[in-house]
Amino acid sequence: MSDTLIEVNDLKIHFFTDEGVVRAVDGVDLTIERGKTLCLVGESGCGKSVACRAFLQIVHSIGKIVSGEIIYHRRVDNNFEETIDIAQLNPKGRQIREIRGKEISMIFQEPMTSLSPMYTVGNQIMENILLHTNLSKEEARQLCVQLLDQVGIPQPHRLVDEYPFRLSGGMRQRAMIAMALSCNPTLLIADEPTTALDVTTQANILDLMRNIQKEYQMALLFITHDLGVVAEIADTVAVMYLGKIVESGDVDTIFNNPKHPYTQALLRSIPKISRTREKLDTIQGMVPNPYRRPGGCPFHPRCTQAMPECSTMVPSVTRFSDGHTTRCLLYENITTKQFAELS
Amino acid sequence: MDLEREVEDMWKFLFRRTLAMLFTVWVVSIISFAVIQLPPGDYVTTLMSQMVSQGGRELTPEYAEQLRELYGLNESMYVQYGKWITNIIFKGQFGYSFVYKRDAVELITERMPMTFALSMSSFVLVWVIALPIGIYSAVRKYSIGDYIFTFLGFIGLAVPSFLLALILLFVSQKYLGQAMIGLFSQEFADAAWSWDKFVDMLKHLWIPTILIGLGGTAGLIRTMRANLLDELNKPYVETARAKGLSETRLLLKYPVRHALNPFVSTIGWTLPNLVAGEVIVAIVLNLPTSGPVLYRALQSQDMFVAAGFILLLSILTVIGTFISDLLLAVLDPRIRLR
Ligand SMILES: Nc1ncnc2c1ncn2[C@@H]1O[C@H](COP(=O)(O)OP(=O)(O)OP(=O)(O)O)[C@@H](O)[C@H]1O
Ligand code: SF4
Ligand SMILES: [Mg+2]
Repeated sequence: MSDTLIEVNDLKIHFFTDEGVVRAVDGVDLTIERGKTLCLVGESGCGKSVACRAFLQIVHSIGKIVSGEIIYHRRVDNNFEETIDIAQLNPKGRQIREIRGKEISMIFQEPMTSLSPMYTVGNQIMENILLHTNLSKEEARQLCVQLLDQVGIPQPHRLVDEYPFRLSGGMRQRAMIAMALSCNPTLLIADEPTTALDVTTQANILDLMRNIQKEYQMALLFITHDLGVVAEIADTVAVMYLGKIVESGDVDTIFNNPKHPYTQALLRSIPKISRTREKLDTIQGMVPNPYRRPGGCPFHPRCTQAMPECSTMVPSVTRFSDGHTTRCLLYENITTKQFAELS
Repeated sequence: MDLEREVEDMWKFLFRRTLAMLFTVWVVSIISFAVIQLPPGDYVTTLMSQMVSQGGRELTPEYAEQLRELYGLNESMYVQYGKWITNIIFKGQFGYSFVYKRDAVELITERMPMTFALSMSSFVLVWVIALPIGIYSAVRKYSIGDYIFTFLGFIGLAVPSFLLALILLFVSQKYLGQAMIGLFSQEFADAAWSWDKFVDMLKHLWIPTILIGLGGTAGLIRTMRANLLDELNKPYVETARAKGLSETRLLLKYPVRHALNPFVSTIGWTLPNLVAGEVIVAIVLNLPTSGPVLYRALQSQDMFVAAGFILLLSILTVIGTFISDLLLAVLDPRIRLR
């Protein structure tokens, strides 16, 4: 039995809009290990949210999974595993609906609007429990109170009957986490769960997520564009740029030995407290228009190390040791000639 | 938050709303009375000119004065209003109809229930049609069905109801040999109320119901469709979907529930529309409702009848708004728990 939970191979998701086709996810490869944390980082609009929604088949209806596979190794019991290609499942079908909220659950970026103001917090959490378990209403309610307590909501007995619009953003995000945990998922996807919160609350929520991940021993796919957060919680990191994973590896390798010019630029853009006087090094240029993505290496218009062939040749995946991979022409000839020397 | 506090909030809300409603009714009564005094002259003037145009004898100024004295038309408007409203509140007296030479209250009790029945049935029809079609049109946006309903809706909106009524009259006369007018068959028209009469009324009621309701339906379909489209892509819908709810359950529990809010608040303005539509259709189809009587009363300055009907119709509308506010509070905790 493998430790791999989910393998994504060459996933492509395109949006067919009136203005043209947006290739939001354009050949993504990812591996999520059981019980480990994978951080997906990248600038706004690079396709992080779209990619992770595909894991639950909840991509917006004009977006289509055009190719690729999302292999889910589902542990049926302790010595049997079945594999399901989530990319092939019908988004409205029964099979994916049994996975959603039970085996794979998700927390969203907007705590203020992710819960409906029409129903109490308890109602919305219990809905998930009642849908996927055989618990009675009363038992579900008890579990709900217990979960709220566990995610650090004060007076859970009272707040279970409170409406979301009477809670602060941080409290709502905690309620969302409680909801996501309610059926013991094997994978929790968190799509920038702290972006909309203030700094103190961000730190609290992050602590909470780290603790519950240990406790529940679930895999965590954490999406962020904050490299500080990545350094704190990641086991492995995948860097995304314009619909592609440009570099991935374990967290130490990515931070200490980044190969891709984009990753290097991202790391330079972190403000260093010890060197506050120094000018912040931002990545030059803008994220290109989604309808007209550059040919060749998509990063070439902004790359400081670009070579002439970068505007025409699409880089393929280069593998270093220990699962460290990148997509950059700088390393392509090295792989063929000097790979042995390097590794 | 405890149940007790929620109940208490609800009572406070009810109290506030009831006060506001009573105040509105008072203002409405003043306006109803003032409006019918606006045109120059009074009932006696109308009567005089009628007699002249019919080639009859002219009223002597003395006789005219006597008439005015009799009906209290010489007194100031304030006094007239005061008498009128106290009589209504304390005696249930709405004054006298100059035209019908009867107690105005008789006319009102004869006609208002029919108007009420017709408006209610049109209202129910509008909702029963508009709600599911609106939901369908939003969920299947730009599908063939959506286009067909949009097209039909615009026809309903564009064709005036009196034209439809006339067409219906013509068709029923020509092919059924009997014009579909009135609310009762001949044998029941003057009969006392009985079960058979009620059934007979239901048989006739559906035609004006459809005619009156049709215009409003298109508007409400658009409202529901637009509201729901706004809600369909909200984050809370995504959350619900990520739980694994089926699309139908999810749709009804979350976005439809949210979209219902602005839909419910349209009750306030659908009612007056229906009542206004009723006037025209009722005149064409010769229905025993308040529309034709009100119309005639306004024409001949039969002031007590006109003021009485306007007042009652306005009160109906105010009550409609009150009900819609109540429903909103029940539906939406954000309104209830301020
Ligand atoms: N519903 C949609 N219709 C059309 N295009 C879309 C839609 N949703 C996403 N896209 C496109 O897909 C691309 C990726 O969007 P996505 O939301 O995944 O970015 P992201 O990496 O999550 O950014 P952020 O950090 O801002 O959340 C964007 O360029 C966007 O234009
Ligand atoms: S392939 Fe060329 S342009 Fe792209 S990142 Fe590497 S060096 Fe820069
Ligand atoms: Mg996003």
